[in-house]
Amino acid sequence: MSCLIKAQQLNKFFGSNHALCDVDFEIERGGPVALVGPNGAGKTTLFSILCGYLKPSSGSVTVFGEQPASHKNLSRLSALPQDAQLDPRFAIAQQLSFYAQLQGFSKREAHIEAERTLELVGLSEVLTEKPGSLSHGMRKRVTIAQALIGAPEIVMLDEATAGLDPKHAREVRELVATLSSDITFILSSHDLSELERLCDQVLYLDLGHLQQHQSLNAEDNLSFFTLRMEQQQPDLIAALSSLKWVTSVVNSQDKEYQISVQTLSAEQPIDIEILKLCYQNKWRYRQLINGRTLENQLFSD
Amino acid sequence: MLWQFSVHRVWCLAKFELVRLFLTKSGVMALLAFATTWFLILYYPVNSAVDFIYSAMFKDIAKDVFGAFGLASLLKWPVPELAMYWLIAIYSFPMFALVIASDQTCSDRIRGTLRFISLRATRAEIIYGRFLGQLIINATLIAITLIAAVLIASFRDGSLFLPGTKKAVELFIELFIVVLPFIALMAFFNCFAKSSKQALVFTVLFFGILPLIIGFVGYKFSVVSQLNYLFPGMQIDQAINPKQFSYAIYAIPVLQMSAYLLLAHLLMKRSSL
Repeated sequence: MSCLIKAQQLNKFFGSNHALCDVDFEIERGGPVALVGPNGAGKTTLFSILCGYLKPSSGSVTVFGEQPASHKNLSRLSALPQDAQLDPRFAIAQQLSFYAQLQGFSKREAHIEAERTLELVGLSEVLTEKPGSLSHGMRKRVTIAQALIGAPEIVMLDEATAGLDPKHAREVRELVATLSSDITFILSSHDLSELERLCDQVLYLDLGHLQQHQSLNAEDNLSFFTLRMEQQQPDLIAALSSLKWVTSVVNSQDKEYQISVQTLSAEQPIDIEILKLCYQNKWRYRQLINGRTLENQLFSD
Repeated sequence: MLWQFSVHRVWCLAKFELVRLFLTKSGVMALLAFATTWFLILYYPVNSAVDFIYSAMFKDIAKDVFGAFGLASLLKWPVPELAMYWLIAIYSFPMFALVIASDQTCSDRIRGTLRFISLRATRAEIIYGRFLGQLIINATLIAITLIAAVLIASFRDGSLFLPGTKKAVELFIELFIVVLPFIALMAFFNCFAKSSKQALVFTVLFFGILPLIIGFVGYKFSVVSQLNYLFPGMQIDQAINPKQFSYAIYAIPVLQMSAYLLLAHLLMKRSSL
């Protein structure tokens, strides 16, 4: 695995506000990476530094082994920056073709590339429209299309699905999942279930500090189950606790139970036992998740 | 820095500047305003230049007026339309250049569009590409007005076409050099202005207040007067009178352009997008 991004002792100050504090991490080529954190955690600042829009106050960061704003990274790293908008005076095709031409496409190829990327986000029909005539969600998808022009190796999407309706948010997620074999996506979002579905790795920022940097497929996650019920069941915790291999049960949130078990092996059908228990007690369950949800991993400890 | 330059990307950015002027509503409106103004200039002062300069009635007045400004040699030009054109163009084109070039990067920076572009072109390429685009626009506008002035003279007297064209080429080069630092100054102001209007306000303050301060301080400390070299157009009074030829007429604007572009480049490189 090759290292795409490396940050060491990264700090960023805005006046007296310490937006990023000694952030260290490495991102390697591979599955999508989630950048998570509450508002004001420093996610957009980190995005901006990685894209070369901002310079760090101290520390070092490299993208493909170069400074983020290096000319060697042009067209290799692409992004959907938060709040950045296309020029309202030009048609979508004109702007995307212009970006493609900057990336080395000929005029004709650039037009074809604009059509291709718009088709990826399901917006072929807006080619000749101007940004002002599109809805917020459509404009967001067009800016996602600009991030996919050419063959970027890293695509950073800051709040890509915010403001999109569920159908189109799902399409964007599917697009990320489809393209993630060729592109390393770095996604920032408040929708943890979305990131959980897509990402293999999580960077959790809080108040400028990198709190966690972990893989969602870590071994310790295999000794947990998450059970989501139709209704809150008062007897469920006691019943689950009586099962063999179950070490503890926590009502992690309304109608959701986090079950920790002894380290599993193939001969331990604990998930089957949990489902049998629900069936015997006529408790209707919604979902049984193998492992802890991202939300519980980040906030329940 | 220069080895990071891609001529292809600079040319792409320059071409897009042309599209921004010629194919957008605001650009076309600016062009219409320009065309209307120049129609009036060509139709009235330029078209009637020959009457003004050669008629018995106005000849003495013209001599007095031009002589008062040290411009009597303009009266000897074989194509009086171009003499009048030159007198108006050398002062008006810098102002046109300032207005037309007032939004090189500022609105894109505030809107965030520059973030999309900076992932595909270096900041230096953005500055120089857009500057090149503005140069091409200004050169085109100068050329169009000169062609119109030569045609007006040729309609009056067909024999003026060749001397008129020759003189027009000279004037094109002179005017082109005159506008260079004005466009570069706007590239510099665009690095921190939030809109084209704000960039123009900075320009008004720059040309309106700074000379007063320099004049006042220069009265006490003469070395401060050298700061007058900061002002694009400081050589125009010399340039307008062909009798007072000196290389400074060309060197000053070229140096000013280089300095402002370098400042814009450095500022852009350091600024946040």
